[in-house]
Amino acid sequence: MSDDEHQFDHKADAGASKTYPQQAGTIRKNAYIVIKQRPCKVVEVSTSKTGKHGHAKCHFVGIDIFTGKKLEDIVPSSHNCDVPEVVRTDYQLIDISEDGFVSLLTESGDTKDDLRLPTDDQLLTQIKEGFGDGKDLVVTVMAAMGEEQICALKDIGPKN
Amino acid sequence: MSSVSSNGTSVPTIARDNVLKQSEKLEGKAHGVRGYDFNQGVDYDALLKALSFTGFQASHLGDAIDQVNEMIDWRLSNDPIDDEADEEERSEEFRRNCKCKIFLGYTSNLVSAGVRETIRYLVEHKMVDVVVTTAGGVEEDLIKCLAPTFMGDFALPGAPLRQKGLNRIGNLLVPNNNYCLFEDWVMPILDQLLTEQREQGVLWTPSKVIARLGKEINDPTSIYYWAQKNDIPVFCPGLTDGSLGDMLYFHSYKSPGLVIDIVQDIRAMNSEAVSAKPRKTGIIILGGGLPKHHICNANMMRNGADFAVFINTAQEYDGSDSGARPEEAISWGKIKSTSKSVKVHCDATIAFPLLVAQTFAKRQGAAKDFENGRCKGG
Repeated sequence: MSDDEHQFDHKADAGASKTYPQQAGTIRKNAYIVIKQRPCKVVEVSTSKTGKHGHAKCHFVGIDIFTGKKLEDIVPSSHNCDVPEVVRTDYQLIDISEDGFVSLLTESGDTKDDLRLPTDDQLLTQIKEGFGDGKDLVVTVMAAMGEEQICALKDIGPKN
Repeated sequence: MSSVSSNGTSVPTIARDNVLKQSEKLEGKAHGVRGYDFNQGVDYDALLKALSFTGFQASHLGDAIDQVNEMIDWRLSNDPIDDEADEEERSEEFRRNCKCKIFLGYTSNLVSAGVRETIRYLVEHKMVDVVVTTAGGVEEDLIKCLAPTFMGDFALPGAPLRQKGLNRIGNLLVPNNNYCLFEDWVMPILDQLLTEQREQGVLWTPSKVIARLGKEINDPTSIYYWAQKNDIPVFCPGLTDGSLGDMLYFHSYKSPGLVIDIVQDIRAMNSEAVSAKPRKTGIIILGGGLPKHHICNANMMRNGADFAVFINTAQEYDGSDSGARPEEAISWGKIKSTSKSVKVHCDATIAFPLLVAQTFAKRQGAAKDFENGRCKGG
């Protein structure tokens, strides 16, 4: 498999582009849900009983796990919603390129170079400073619905 | 000074003069009070005709019946030819066929009740020209085509009803399931409205939506089925204030973007009044709230309705518009000061079917007349 092929497929090949259906009434707080095609973490759920407005409804407030934006949806509780499969993987940080990409070491020993630095200011500063100080950094990459982003950082000690 | 009675004492003049004060003679000036006499058997027509001189609200109902009959019977040929009248307006035939434009307004509780059938009758036979109601007035009629409303009791306690999923409207009960059926029925229609808005550039208004719903329900027991069939516009500026509003709200999450324009409708409603000339206008309003004010306000645009009948139980002492009598509307120019307008203080479930029995229903044979009523005035 050539590097060129890898380049085009990198989004679909992310490995966690799956969603599966689940009944709205069974989705709880802190679970995941797809709202307007975006993978979200549920921060609030309220159910209104069947009444003048028709069937019982679930009102979800979710935070987009990648952009942090607040999204809302109202769905009949017997309806099926899409739940994204969210996978977290740890990688060792090898390098940060000039144009904001990171170079990560995979378990199999290959490098993964298609990820940008995260947009979150606090995390970004921590990575840059930690790397600049020569520390051994491990980043956690969150993947869902074909999208990936660095979401956390671990310091495993200074470089020898 | 004082008269002498049999045992010798006399009645003081001052007392006698006050209690036995000379009265003005009403004979020949006012009608006597006389109720229906059941010795003539049970003659419903005579019974209802006797309302006028029975007193209190019975008399007001009798007057309302007379007022509505005036509305129905008026022709342009009754009046002298207006100086500014054009050639068509001067034609004898035109004048004989030019009738009063009738606005009918009602609140939603009456549609939940059996007054729905009376209203449907009027709309079915084109006996009214413009209809104004609330959101509930629309949906309760459509829901009845999907599932019935039931008789209940005013005294039923709320919490057990909630547990059983039964909603109380006075002494009527509407099961939650009815609204679920309504949701299932209306959502695909809202999807269609959105599609037509996007693909054909349709700009929906409450009256257009109601006409569409009447077409879709396709049921001769529905008021709005007949309204759209007979081109009778139904105005409802508060379309969101009911189950329909709930449906629009949920629909906006599922498929956002549906627009419903109230500006177009206020143009259309006020135009109904303003462009009525040379026809006279009559207003029949059951209940208070939005329908009452909306119709009166539109008629203000043409310096007042010529005929008016209010049937409601609201009182004026709190200054509410709902409780305001026709006299108050005259001060606004909503009803002409020359009108013999009537307010019947009565629950419309009693008064209205009786009124229709003595007015519109007696003229059903002349349904053709209602057809031809739409003359140039619009």
